[in-house]
Amino acid sequence: MVNQDEKILSLSNLSMSYGGDPVLKWIDLDVYPGQIIGYIGPNGAGKSTTVKIMLGLVGGYNGKVEIFGQDIADGDPSYKQKIGYVPENAEIYDNLTACEYLTFTGEMYGMDPETAERKALLLLDKFEMRGVFHTKISSFSKGMKQKVLIISSLLHDPDLLFLDEPLSGLDANSVMIIKEILAQLAAEGKTIFYSSHIMEVVEKISSRIVLLADGKIVADGTFAELQAKNEEGTLEEIFNQLTGFNEHREIAKSFVSIVREGGS
Amino acid sequence: MKNFLSLRMLDLCSRLFIMLGIDYPVMRRILQVKLTMDQRRVPTIFEQSKSKEGNQFIKSLGLYAFYGLILIPFIMFGDYYLFQMSLVFAMMMFILMTTMIADFSAVLLDVRDKNILNTKPVDQRTVSMAKVVHVCIYMTQVTGAFAVVPLLVGLFVNGALFTVIFLIEILLIGMLIVVLTALIYIFILQFFDGERLKDVINYVQILLSVGIVAGYQVLVRIFDFSDLNIDFTFQWWHLLLPPIWYSAPFEWILNGNSAGYIIGYSILSVVVPIVAIIIYSKLVPSFEQNLQKLLQYSGDNKRKAHRLDNLFAKIVCKSKEERTFFRFSTLMMKQEREFKLKVYPSLGFAFVFPFIFLFNEISMNGFGGLPGSKYFLTIYLGNIMIPAVVHMLKFSSNYKGAWIFRATPIHDESIFYRAALKAFLTKLYLPLMIVLSIFFLSMFTFRIVPDLLVILMTGVLHALLSFKLLTNQTYPFSRSFEFASDMDTAKNIILMIIVGLFGGVHYLATLLPYGVLGYLVLVLIAALISWKLVFSAKEKRSPAGQT
Repeated sequence: MVNQDEKILSLSNLSMSYGGDPVLKWIDLDVYPGQIIGYIGPNGAGKSTTVKIMLGLVGGYNGKVEIFGQDIADGDPSYKQKIGYVPENAEIYDNLTACEYLTFTGEMYGMDPETAERKALLLLDKFEMRGVFHTKISSFSKGMKQKVLIISSLLHDPDLLFLDEPLSGLDANSVMIIKEILAQLAAEGKTIFYSSHIMEVVEKISSRIVLLADGKIVADGTFAELQAKNEEGTLEEIFNQLTGFNEHREIAKSFVSIVREGGS
Repeated sequence: MKNFLSLRMLDLCSRLFIMLGIDYPVMRRILQVKLTMDQRRVPTIFEQSKSKEGNQFIKSLGLYAFYGLILIPFIMFGDYYLFQMSLVFAMMMFILMTTMIADFSAVLLDVRDKNILNTKPVDQRTVSMAKVVHVCIYMTQVTGAFAVVPLLVGLFVNGALFTVIFLIEILLIGMLIVVLTALIYIFILQFFDGERLKDVINYVQILLSVGIVAGYQVLVRIFDFSDLNIDFTFQWWHLLLPPIWYSAPFEWILNGNSAGYIIGYSILSVVVPIVAIIIYSKLVPSFEQNLQKLLQYSGDNKRKAHRLDNLFAKIVCKSKEERTFFRFSTLMMKQEREFKLKVYPSLGFAFVFPFIFLFNEISMNGFGGLPGSKYFLTIYLGNIMIPAVVHMLKFSSNYKGAWIFRATPIHDESIFYRAALKAFLTKLYLPLMIVLSIFFLSMFTFRIVPDLLVILMTGVLHALLSFKLLTNQTYPFSRSFEFASDMDTAKNIILMIIVGLFGGVHYLATLLPYGVLGYLVLVLIAALISWKLVFSAKEKRSPAGQT
């Protein structure tokens, strides 16, 4: 177990711009072990950018990012040792077989190939994918690819997980398994950073919700705390309220009327 | 995963990499994965077997070895090294640059690397080095295949010293090419976004594949006429021609010519690649940053005017649905990069070949007799590309979008084919023929107008025949390019011979009074009838795909 008081991750005064307008504006965030952070916000709010900065994929930010107590700007990539990542666009070397890909990523995290392969097969078996261990990923369905990505992010038993829309393409049963896995990992003291647009899931699994809008954190707390501060309701309603969006009915109405125009 | 020979060779220099602060085992593992993926460049879609593994790359190396044979006469010819070796190196640089851009852009510009590798606790320098070594392994293999026979010939004909210089020069050239390509990408990415870069790469690929064939023809011809004594007078702009730098050391060391400019060239041949590498290593970090641009879509949101397309659609298509698919086919041909890459080079050949054969004639017998002769029939060479392009109409890199053909409520499916073929004829074939005709009319006067019309009509007829023989009821743009190479060779040869047949009959017709006009009427009627026959209305296929 990790020490509960130790900060796993700390952003202070983080801001970032890609040339033009700032994408992130002076973000402060501390994350502790065992938390499942639901990281939500409208498209273009800066969620992916935050995650990419923390993973060292994007440079040129201002402010300080500390992960496991290490300032990531010092150029030493070893902090990534204990991080797992499921990327948004399901980027994967799909010319490799599941076995080859998982062994490879495991080795990149410093595992030895035998252990990585054995663990990968055991984990795939739990998703009933043992039969495609030596099949090229390019022939997989979206859900199968997603399961490979999830396994590759967990194979090396990381302490911090970044999941970007990890449930996309999974069927209802698999979703239940993954949600339960996340809950149990958090109970073991793992920290999970979960970005998604599906509010029902975020509401259910997160122990803390961070809402980003226009490059700033506009809400931070448990679901109950958010409900207390805002009008009672679902996370979706709170989300709409905090991002100042209440025209969905009007937009839908005029959309439908355009669809109906000249139709038969 | 295989333990590649190239990796075992690399193990010999593992010390060097460790000294440079590279995590060698990690780099080796990344390379192993990359090489494995190279072997499987053809992604499997339908079968899960490993049937296509391996041989693809080896086969292509065989082809390079074959290309290499063309260098042999230049090496054996004599000891005008400055001249001969300039030609050898010019060809070599051309071939290597082409392959580098055509086959290796995908590797240099792979954006998946960033998400997959940089999220791991791996040093950025190790990842970058893996990329460099990967490119070098590939270049070594291609250059090796290309140069092995010429090197052996050089050893036997010109001696050991020649071979040693040759080998060193080849290494330097290889380095220069790799770095030059990378620098070009860095330059383009600095100023343009990813979409533009992809366009530039696309056009370079097309240009180079035409250039290779045309360049050979031209070079060989130059060589024929310069077989007297070759004098070299130094001009300052020769300094800008890298092939000459690399030929200079031969002149210097083997012929003992130590003129100042020869030594200058020799120095350039060594210094420039080294300087280029230093510049490259300085620019790599900003390159990696700019690679992000490949992921950004900053496409300008402007409506493109398609007035001309709409006009053509109105002229050549009767029904509204057909017009729709005509415009769709036109857009696919114009905007899909992979389609352009496969098809535009053939169009380039179609344009260049008639001239090459014509110039051959001019250079032998002079220009005087040309206007009265029947050499305008070389235009038929332009028609040779028709089967290849018609074959390509079936393919698209977005072939998965073809569900739209089945999903639309259109009963007569022949309009898909008809529209695609019409789009090819009006948007690709007709413009090509018009440009060729303008050149040929200026050389042969207006008396050949009926002949040109005949050629145009045989082109239409030929397209129809190719379509009938090659498409086999496959919807246009509905299959992956992976299968584009499975062209039926026998059918293809028959279709090539047909061009000769049309041309031959045309020649005979010119011997008869009014023969050409008679032939024109004949071909016109044949084209009309076969159009009706090929595109008789068809009901949409059953979902199982059988008619």
